[in-house]
Amino acid sequence: MSERPPMVRAEGLGKGYGSGPTRLEVLDGLDLEVPAGQMLAVVGPSGVGKSTLLHLIGLLDRPDRGRLALDGLAADDLDGNRRAGLRSRLIGFVFQHHHLLDELDALDNVALPLRIAGVRAAGARDRAAELLDAVGLTGRASHFPDQLSGGEQQRVSVARALAMRPGLLLADEPTGNLDRDNAERLFELVIELHLKAGLTSIIVTHNEEMARRCDRIFRLAPRAELSSDVRTV
Amino acid sequence: MAIGAELHVASRYLVGTRRWTPVVTVTLISLLGLGLGVFALVVTLALLDGFQSGIRSQIEARAAHAEVRPTSGRRLAEPDRLASLLQGRLGEVEIVQVVRGMCLVGSGTGAVPASVVGRSDTDRTTVDSVLARRLGIGAGDRIEVISARQRLTPMGPLPVRFTADVGRLAPPAPGDEAGTVELPLDRAQRLLWGEPVVGAIELRDPADPWGLGDRARAILEEAAAPVRVAGLVELHRPLLTALALEKIMIFVAVGLMLVVAALNLLCNVAMVAAEKRKDLAVMAGLGSTPGSLRRLFLVLGLVIGLVGSVAGAVVGSAVAITLDRTEALELPSGVFMVSAVPFEIDPATLALVVAVALGLSAGAAWLPARLVARREPAEGLRYE
Ligand SMILES: Nc1ncnc2c1ncn2[C@@H]1O[C@H](COP(=O)(O)OP(=O)(O)O)[C@@H](O)[C@H]1O
Ligand SMILES: [Mg+2]
Repeated sequence: MSERPPMVRAEGLGKGYGSGPTRLEVLDGLDLEVPAGQMLAVVGPSGVGKSTLLHLIGLLDRPDRGRLALDGLAADDLDGNRRAGLRSRLIGFVFQHHHLLDELDALDNVALPLRIAGVRAAGARDRAAELLDAVGLTGRASHFPDQLSGGEQQRVSVARALAMRPGLLLADEPTGNLDRDNAERLFELVIELHLKAGLTSIIVTHNEEMARRCDRIFRLAPRAELSSDVRTV
Repeated sequence: MAIGAELHVASRYLVGTRRWTPVVTVTLISLLGLGLGVFALVVTLALLDGFQSGIRSQIEARAAHAEVRPTSGRRLAEPDRLASLLQGRLGEVEIVQVVRGMCLVGSGTGAVPASVVGRSDTDRTTVDSVLARRLGIGAGDRIEVISARQRLTPMGPLPVRFTADVGRLAPPAPGDEAGTVELPLDRAQRLLWGEPVVGAIELRDPADPWGLGDRARAILEEAAAPVRVAGLVELHRPLLTALALEKIMIFVAVGLMLVVAALNLLCNVAMVAAEKRKDLAVMAGLGSTPGSLRRLFLVLGLVIGLVGSVAGAVVGSAVAITLDRTEALELPSGVFMVSAVPFEIDPATLALVVAVALGLSAGAAWLPARLVARREPAEGLRYE
């Protein structure tokens, strides 16, 4: 069996915000490698740069320094269109706030990435309906985001992230806004889908218990040398 | 590149929303602004076209549609040959040989200088109302026409003169303040030249007044006649230029309303972009390219522009046509040649107005669209 490249390889990744005296270096020389199929938990105090890291890996932002390769492909010098293409095909995102589009119902929200990728409306809706079934929201297809509970919103969001059958799932505190039960159920769902779809997943979480159920925990600290990287299994 | 998804989202912003959103409000305001601008422009230009086409048809109705003149001097060589050549080639066209000059016209009370024109299509003496007023005469009175040309008589040189009875009073030619007396051609020739000189040939063709000049010119150039042909445009160049200029100025002045409406559209599209910043970032995150997000806003602007300008054009045209048909806006009688304010819709003008409105809308949407696409998606995802 030939060696598969790691799904994520970041070397010396650096990112800061602002300029002059208010300049804030958030990530500085971060190295991270995530093998295909792994489920990685990223934990760390608030404001340490977890979202920033996820945005860089998800090609939603550009690093100031360092190199990033996704699934063996160097992503550093790609133009906006190529980055958009990679986001579409390779990456699924679940945000802390569900970030569903208010004007679209659940079905159309899930179908959106497919429509963006050029799938025809009918086909996209069929697949979206399947996905809503898979996340346990059969029958809620024509509900709009504000007619769904927080847990349901996040389920729709998970379904949307998986619509294009991505290889890499990035979730930024997906359970952050949910109560214990709902958080637990959503996390179960993510694990189940991760295994079923053979995903590589990076999940930012505050919840130690959930983090321990992942394959590996990456603890982000304010100074790079304090960060730790632990395999749980 | 497919933009079906972006279009889908844009259309959901505009219609089919379940609530009254700021996006819908600003869109309606933009629509109203553009619609009003187009409406004003269409009605104003229809009014202008109405008056101008009145002036044009007056030109067509009274004066010659083309005139054949000598290349130099005041005598037309071989006028009869030219006239029969033109008659043969142009067919159903009125052809009149004319000669023009100046003379004194006297009545019992004295003499005043006036233009004189001899025409081959009349056998009566006609005085226009300007000259009649200056002389204090009316139809049926006797006038004396005195030439600047002299004739040797037993009493020494005397001016050529004759008397005539005024047949009827003609309406004055616009801008003619001296007045004109119109005579049969042979009388005018005797008066002005003492020999059968023709100064010009006038042509009229009510079926094609504006093209007659070109047709006549082609025929005479082919015949290598030493003449110049002035068409309707050349004959009335100052007036027609003024009319065209007037239309351009009005278009630009009232068109500024459209520019203001477009600036309003720009602000509103920028507002939508700010309002929907998170959605744009999410769509980018889901794979929308910068270009397709840019097109989303272009389409938004163009849809607003199209709906607004078509609505404005339709309503404006309807109002103009209704006002024209019903003659609702009356004019004081006797001052103008028409009794009610005329409106005329010119399709080319209408198309131009809509095109300008669309162009401005696209431009107005383009600026915020560029800003949107330049941002990295993460910037729009900052949690509130
Ligand atoms: N666009 C931005 N401009 C300025 N500062 C930012 C921006 N994005 C994030 N930050 C700052 O960077 C730090 C890390 O943010 P973030 O990655 O969201 O942290 P976390 O997700 O770990 O809570 C925070 O201090 C945050 O205030
Ligand atoms: Mg965060």
